[in-house]
Amino acid sequence: MGPIIPLFEISEEINLLIAFLIGLGFGIALEQAGFSSSRKLAGMFYGYDTTVLKVFFTASIVAMLGLVFLNDLGMIDMSIVYVNDYYIASAIIGGVIMGGGFIIGGFCPGTSVCAAAIGKIDAMYFVGGSLIGILIFGQTYPLWEKLHFAQHIGPVKLSDTLGVKDGLLGLIVIIAALLMFWIGEMAEKRFKREDISKEL
Amino acid sequence: MKARYILSIVLVSLGLIAAILPQNQNSSLELDAKQLLNEIQVENYVISIDEMANAMINDDPEYQLIDVRSKEEYEKFSLPGAMNIPFDQLFNEEWAPYIDQVARKNVFYCNGTTLASDAWMLTRQKGYKNNYILKGGLNNWYTTIIEPDEPTLTNGQEAMYDYQARLGAKQFFTGAGAADNSSNKKKAKKPVPRRKKKMVAGGCS
Amino acid sequence: MEKKGNKYMNPYLAGLLLGLVLLASFYLTGRGLGASGAMKSVVVSGVSAVNKDYAESSHYYSKYISDDKKPMKSWLVLEVFGVLVGGFISGAFSGRLKFKIEKSPKITNKKRIRLAIIGGALFGFGSQLGRGCTSGAALTGMATLSIAGYVVMMAIFGTAFALAYFFRKNWI
Repeated sequence: MGPIIPLFEISEEINLLIAFLIGLGFGIALEQAGFSSSRKLAGMFYGYDTTVLKVFFTASIVAMLGLVFLNDLGMIDMSIVYVNDYYIASAIIGGVIMGGGFIIGGFCPGTSVCAAAIGKIDAMYFVGGSLIGILIFGQTYPLWEKLHFAQHIGPVKLSDTLGVKDGLLGLIVIIAALLMFWIGEMAEKRFKREDISKEL
Repeated sequence: MKARYILSIVLVSLGLIAAILPQNQNSSLELDAKQLLNEIQVENYVISIDEMANAMINDDPEYQLIDVRSKEEYEKFSLPGAMNIPFDQLFNEEWAPYIDQVARKNVFYCNGTTLASDAWMLTRQKGYKNNYILKGGLNNWYTTIIEPDEPTLTNGQEAMYDYQARLGAKQFFTGAGAADNSSNKKKAKKPVPRRKKKMVAGGCS
Repeated sequence: MEKKGNKYMNPYLAGLLLGLVLLASFYLTGRGLGASGAMKSVVVSGVSAVNKDYAESSHYYSKYISDDKKPMKSWLVLEVFGVLVGGFISGAFSGRLKFKIEKSPKITNKKRIRLAIIGGALFGFGSQLGRGCTSGAALTGMATLSIAGYVVMMAIFGTAFALAYFFRKNWI
């Protein structure tokens, strides 16, 4: 039964090796999707390229369905799998700040590392900027400490809050995502920018 | 074009299956029937009367007697130091720290062995460790400690030692000091360390 | 969309690939992907190298340093190192290795770099406040159906959409 490493107490070295291999797959998937291009990423917000939407939602749906099926086959103990801790204020405010960073800088941390790897100079500066941002947060932490821990809800799942099974909520998410894919593809036609798409 | 159409069909069908599936809760700690059968056959979940009596005389904090009979029966008679967790309340929240812990050996007992065995099997199946049952229950306790049979010469030296120990135990449990049964019902201390699943650290922290 | 040729993988196929990587991560380690956490490890070890006593007395940095654990020898750092190598392999495979500043022709390189640093700083700051970035909080959180994941995702994309108009010159 999974998750393998925590349950079978596998050595730290193997754990780190697996981390590297998973990162390798992560990097390849991001680069192949085109997430190493800031103008492609930014296209999401102007409608000329909705790759971000498609990749992002397809990936989370595949993983979500995978977890539901693994659970059904008795292959994973979901009570051990990490569920993000929810602090209302910091999640929303942090998310808003990140959204601003996304549209200004054109990357997010994962994609910037991937883009820097293939020589995008703007991505290298973005990574540097991220380190500065984290340093600023660390240096001014006393100012944010209270906000950081305000309104703690805990590691709560949306399905539990709504009182539905994971699989049923999954189906709803799938239908919503497919609708968005459809809108996204329409937007790509409507806001087509041949000049940009050619360069990407 | 239509990667999206293929994707839609596949995802919606998988989503429908996912929505229909019952959402079982797997627990990596729980035992399945086969594993449980193995544990039952090994029989190392039984504590003998002599071992228990010895532990009680020495006031060994490693052992905690748990009376799984009803409250009325417990109040009428119970072994010294035992706490009462009636069988039908076994999985009440309040008892969880007592039956699901790593600090000491819990010894379930009832009149015979049926309730205690059932309690052991249920807790073991949930993956709890450190629970045992008292061999033969109170009936066996009575015939072993309170009215021990005197061994004949053919029983050998060891049986004689056991007999002597039991007479001593009888003296301890029925002597003047032990007559006051009510004072024996001291409240069991709550064991602090609870068995915990290892949680995975995750996210970006 | 296929007129662009096959420079990049079909986005749905790439999404499937990314989803399988994420699922493998859950199955093997019980945790999802992450990126900003590794950057934090870099900052924490940097600060601790410059002034160890200060780092240990800070409420923030001290959470990530102790005698038996080195911030740079962590799961996320190795994973992000893998992203770096994986991105390079994929870029080499598809012939995309090239030093380049990507931006709208309407702005100068200098402006693009300045914006990248500001954007990065905001993202770095926000990821610490919001406990994870697009990978660790949004993508991973959405796969486990956690509320935090959906909230962070909506906050990030909602804000970016809302501000898109003001920064359009940088991109189109």
